[in-house]
Amino acid sequence: MANRLVEKYLRPSQIPTKACHGCGIGMIENWILQAIDELGLSREDVVFITGIGCVGRQTYATWGGDNVGATHGRALAVATGLKVAQPDKKYVVVVGDGDAAAIGTSHLIHAARRNLGVTVICEDNMGYESTGGQFSPTTPAGYVMNSSPYGMVEPSFDPCDIVKAAGATFVAEYTAVQWMQTKKAIKKALQNDGFSFVHVRFQCNENFGAYALGTRDTVANIQWIEDHTRGVDREGKPTEFTWETGVKHDASNSRPEFSRLLRDLNSRVAGNHETSAGNGRGGHD
Amino acid sequence: MPLFEPAKAKKQLPPSDKWSVTVERNFCKACRFCIDVCPVDVFQWSKEVNAIGWFPIEVAHEANCVGCMLCYQVCPDFVINVEPKKANAPAGRHEIKAEGAA
Amino acid sequence: MIAPSVAPVRLVAPWAEWNTRFTDGRRVLETGTFALTEGAIAAGCRFFAGYPITPATEIAEHMSKRLPQVGGYYVQAEDELAGVHMCAGASLAGLKAMSASSGPGYTLMHDAYGWAVANEIPLVIVDAMRVGPVSGITGAPGQGEFYIARYCSHGGNIESLVLSPDSVQETYWLTIDALNLAERFRTVVTILTDQVISDMQEDLFLPRSADDLAQIVVPRRHNTEMPFYPQGSDAIDVAPNVVGMGTGVCVSAYTHTPEGYDIEEMEAHWDQSIRLINKIRRHRGELLRYEAVGLDDADVIVVAYGATARTAKTAVLQARRAGVRAGFLRLITLWPFPDELFTRDVPYVVCELNYDGQLVREVQRAAPARDRVHFMGKSAELHTVEEVLRALDGVGKGRGIPAMPYIWTEVR
Repeated sequence: MANRLVEKYLRPSQIPTKACHGCGIGMIENWILQAIDELGLSREDVVFITGIGCVGRQTYATWGGDNVGATHGRALAVATGLKVAQPDKKYVVVVGDGDAAAIGTSHLIHAARRNLGVTVICEDNMGYESTGGQFSPTTPAGYVMNSSPYGMVEPSFDPCDIVKAAGATFVAEYTAVQWMQTKKAIKKALQNDGFSFVHVRFQCNENFGAYALGTRDTVANIQWIEDHTRGVDREGKPTEFTWETGVKHDASNSRPEFSRLLRDLNSRVAGNHETSAGNGRGGHD
Repeated sequence: MPLFEPAKAKKQLPPSDKWSVTVERNFCKACRFCIDVCPVDVFQWSKEVNAIGWFPIEVAHEANCVGCMLCYQVCPDFVINVEPKKANAPAGRHEIKAEGAA
Repeated sequence: MIAPSVAPVRLVAPWAEWNTRFTDGRRVLETGTFALTEGAIAAGCRFFAGYPITPATEIAEHMSKRLPQVGGYYVQAEDELAGVHMCAGASLAGLKAMSASSGPGYTLMHDAYGWAVANEIPLVIVDAMRVGPVSGITGAPGQGEFYIARYCSHGGNIESLVLSPDSVQETYWLTIDALNLAERFRTVVTILTDQVISDMQEDLFLPRSADDLAQIVVPRRHNTEMPFYPQGSDAIDVAPNVVGMGTGVCVSAYTHTPEGYDIEEMEAHWDQSIRLINKIRRHRGELLRYEAVGLDDADVIVVAYGATARTAKTAVLQARRAGVRAGFLRLITLWPFPDELFTRDVPYVVCELNYDGQLVREVQRAAPARDRVHFMGKSAELHTVEEVLRALDGVGKGRGIPAMPYIWTEVR
């Protein structure tokens, strides 16, 4: 018998996923499902929205409820329409670093600004792995990837800083060796009636591991993640950089959520609408 | 304390037999995480290939399981299920010291 | 002033009957953008997401005022691509939705357009055309998106529904029709209007009661069971899928199965293409809309759509009064292109607001004799009646369209 959450929440025909062996996407999905389970949510309560790239594709259609796989970078725009029209569901938006922090950053910023009530799980493998391993805006500076053969010269950034500046009401950052913390953060994120952003860095063996780290060994690549989470490597020496993990901003439920703002507007307007405006059903009385 | 240790560093503890460990062999992609993360040597490699072309893991010493749930959390493919054999069974009381703790 | 008719005007469109069906309403002097907004709301549109751009800005403004009054939602998107994706999301969740833009914004919508068409999501997109390329001339009409509207997304393997109005009243009815067709065909319907029709003010009749309108509005239904995508079938009037009602629907960005799962097999791609292309092609009869004068006996036929058709029609009617057997054909349905209207082997004069020649190429393809199709292209200003009369005269005498300032006649 498999992980018991498979029967409860997933589509058997879509498991095993197309993810490579040792990929962190399935690990993070397991923690998302645990968070959903511990909150007592059902398949009908949650809609999964995914993007393009490994994270989107390997997650799409695994969820046993409704799934929406958007075009590249536009998952949050689709989520905006869904949430405004149907606000009573939990929307889990599973996107990668390319989808959220490169092509889709504009929509990320505006969804955070509007405080759209969705939970974004930005699963970050620090490169465009699906297309073979090009660098992305979150690739560590100087790293060699397929489109930075001399080392990446662009600086990188942390999407957590961006969404926090834009107005997100819950922001957390963890890595693929921090399952309990990630699960707790996802639970908090789902309980925020506002824009929640959980950023999880994870290992890629086939591309990032191969080109940036020089190995496809699964344990070596997840240990690289572990080392840069803890700040010490296998020999006990400090790593060249350490990710700052934790809950970065928690203003959960402190600001009105976007679909709530629109509904409140409609109530105000309905209270005073002019007679020439129509009878509310499209005709003109 | 690093999470992943090769199998030879595992402690051999008296079996507690309080935890049920099951696997779905046709989901496994042989990533090795569970084998390396388990502190008490529950898993081993199967000698029969599975439906997706990997030699998967299988449960070798279920009775050793102390319910730490590391394998359950680390598996990328929903292969493993770990549950107490009886309701409210306490977690294993054995002290676990991994080699080379930082 | 519209000249009195000397030949019967034939209008083939649902509003030929709608125009006389309703007597209870109010009349206003209003713009095309106002009519478009009111038509959408009358048809049940309750979500708009877009970005301001001349000459479509007023649509966004009207929507921002009207939608809250009817319990709908206006979202000012950060860009047009986001806007159409938001509309698609809202439509998936059960609301009729619309976006509107002009060329520079329309051109950003293509990824979203393709996604909505491939997933059979009902939507209406309005392109109020202006002169191009790029920002062109603000406030001058154009007709440069004729082909883009058909090939509005990459990758091929789709058919498109595109309609074009030529008056304020027609804009009202046509918008209702567009929303209806979006529901029936589970697709994106594009309204190609232009700056003149959008901004001009004309007499507009608005039916008063929602119950009256209910007679002509196709309501939103929800499909709750498999198949979510009847791949391989050309059926229409299939209820749209809905997200958030526990149906388990999957909406994919890739070629997909009837459940909506990604699939990479030739057979599945074939079935999907049959669905997306044939559901429109096999029901062409339901989609034909046009206006014509004297088609059956004309010695030369002027072809146009949108604002261009207004002066072209006046020219044809004047020619008729002078004894010239000219004919006039105004396309309302631009796509699927109505080949069946071009069976007569006579010269055609195609008037359109572009210099590169777009509509003329389709007429050349559809008409019996390609070299009898003459191109009369103009840009940034409407063709004058005088210019069209001179073209009719030249073509009627077998000399082709005479050279005129700023009139383009070459098609390569």
